[in-house]
Amino acid sequence: MTAYTVQMEQLPGLFAAWSAQCQVHVPVALETGFYDFSPWRPGTEIAFEYDVAYNPLKRFFMPPREDMIVFDLETYTAKPVFAAPSILLFGVHPYDVKAVTQLDQLMESGSVDQNYFSRRDAAVIFAMTPLAVSDTAFWASVGADKVDQGFDLYWTKIGPGTFHVEIGSGRGEELLLAAGPLAPATAGSREAARKAQVRAKTLGASRSLRFDWRETPHVMGRSWNSSLWHRKAEKCLGCGSCNIVCPTCYCFDIREEVDEKLKAGHRFREWDGCMLNGFALVAGNHNFRPQASERYRHRYMRKGKYIFDKIGELGCVGCGRCVRACTSKIADPCEIFNALWEESRNEI
Amino acid sequence: METAPVTLPSNETCLLSAKPRIAFFDFAGCEGDQLQIANLEEKLLDILAHVEVVSFREIKTGHADDYDIAFVEGSITRPEDEARLKDIRAKAKVLVALGACAAIGGINCLKNFMGEAFYREVVYGPQAGWYRTYAARPLSAVVPVDAEIPGCPIDRLEFARVVKELLLGRTPWLPDYPVCVECKMAGNICRYDLGKMCLGIVTRAGCGACCVTEGAHCWGCRGLFPSANLDAARQVMDNAGFDRRQVQDLMRFFLGDTRAGL
Ligand code: SF4
Ligand code: SF4
Ligand code: SF4
Ligand code: SF4
Ligand code: SF4
Repeated sequence: MTAYTVQMEQLPGLFAAWSAQCQVHVPVALETGFYDFSPWRPGTEIAFEYDVAYNPLKRFFMPPREDMIVFDLETYTAKPVFAAPSILLFGVHPYDVKAVTQLDQLMESGSVDQNYFSRRDAAVIFAMTPLAVSDTAFWASVGADKVDQGFDLYWTKIGPGTFHVEIGSGRGEELLLAAGPLAPATAGSREAARKAQVRAKTLGASRSLRFDWRETPHVMGRSWNSSLWHRKAEKCLGCGSCNIVCPTCYCFDIREEVDEKLKAGHRFREWDGCMLNGFALVAGNHNFRPQASERYRHRYMRKGKYIFDKIGELGCVGCGRCVRACTSKIADPCEIFNALWEESRNEI
Repeated sequence: METAPVTLPSNETCLLSAKPRIAFFDFAGCEGDQLQIANLEEKLLDILAHVEVVSFREIKTGHADDYDIAFVEGSITRPEDEARLKDIRAKAKVLVALGACAAIGGINCLKNFMGEAFYREVVYGPQAGWYRTYAARPLSAVVPVDAEIPGCPIDRLEFARVVKELLLGRTPWLPDYPVCVECKMAGNICRYDLGKMCLGIVTRAGCGACCVTEGAHCWGCRGLFPSANLDAARQVMDNAGFDRRQVQDLMRFFLGDTRAGL
């Protein structure tokens, strides 16, 4: 893979060049001590050592609320709405890149989600090797400590002021060279990057699945009747926070609203989640997952089995956001998968 | 998602054909909800083109007794309120509870936790004996309510939406999920991550989690969402280090009339 070495003092020039072409978002430290992606401006301090972005990055490709159609009630006509702002996400951790490539696959299967892809195609992703890990994450144990696709550039900090940057796409290389030529990577910088990536894997293994993540679908297959679902679901608020903060959850609801003149209107979608009681409610007031325990089980089945059955990877990238977001502290896939594995390991 | 559990009286309430007559009433409340409606300004003028307002103290004088939709603000706090409300109910095809006081009893229910002699004395002083008053309650404790626009005060855009839905003959929609959903959509840092208490975990969404977004927490002004798990919520607050008294105070603030043992 082509790679370059970039020095810290070259960054302001590069960011200026990029932000002339698109909205650039970078990880920053918030006042509260958490981190999140925020628009870059000259002088913005980039949090290279962030552990996790508090909010999921899916919002850039599938905003919480998005217009899909505008319609006219007088002429009975409708027009699709597509928005595709050019954006650049700098410093995305591999597990979050993996979440995006997973969404890409899921949004393409069946009928292609054109709203998603219009935004996705206008986005550039610069990945970055993590230098810190949050206390709820377990990405290294689900194979999400490193990705080999889904990025335009892959940055690894190899010294106090030095980055090793791998090229993932032509667009990425063009942007990297936007402020002038750069030094090509050396054998030394490649080795330093490799070591940094190994360090990230070790760092990310502080919380781990106790078994090979590829076993998870089998564990889940054996766990349908576990009593764990009932025990845990008693504490479930049905608040959907675990879905909403998840970078791989993509469910949405569609609604419509007309304007005050009752002449025109719009159809929009909003984030939805399978932990909400109304999620599986259909016509005739029938709910096909009426019990909290069924909803609770469903989410883990999605994360540990159903997505795997579709695309061969877990529906969970181990970011740990749900673990933190659940105020009842029952949404931890690492804990639940381990408990179910423990419960069912003798049943093989 | 689920539509709010309202049943409109009959097909006659498909109001699109006629120009429905609407009226506003208030009981024990601050009229803050009607003020929100007046604040709709231009949108209000557009909506008013589709209806005829026969009674609305905040924006016009005069009153008539034949109306299709009654918007009723405030809670019921005196026995004689009941007769007036029943009369409104009898005349209206659709009765909409406007705001927390009308929809869930709201802040008026604070007095329900005090002895009658005490609150009489506090409110009326030496004249305490002159007035009749009893435990505050929502409209639905007295008459059937067709739709609710919750909140303290109401969200004026939600009011506009519900009116439009009624005009189009649709069942008014209310979110059946908690404030947390909208709070996460807004990208807020959860109050529990900051060591604070918040009732968003049990409260009906629809306000966009505005209080959290503005830096405070949710007080529950929109009432419980239909499948709220109060036991789990109490445990969350307990685990977050709040004592029973603090939890109780917060839950009584707006949710005093819920049938949850507080
Ligand atoms: S399930 Fe939880 S840990 Fe897994 S990807 Fe979603 S938010 Fe992250
Ligand atoms: S886990 Fe639930 S909310 Fe998330 S994508 Fe799957 S079904 Fe949708
Ligand atoms: S975040 Fe926790 S309490 Fe809320 S729906 Fe998910 S599991 Fe239930
Ligand atoms: S701050 Fe309140 S409303 Fe927001 S997610 Fe936390 S508990 Fe829910
Ligand atoms: S956040 Fe809570 S208290 Fe504030 S408006 Fe919404 S429901 Fe009411």
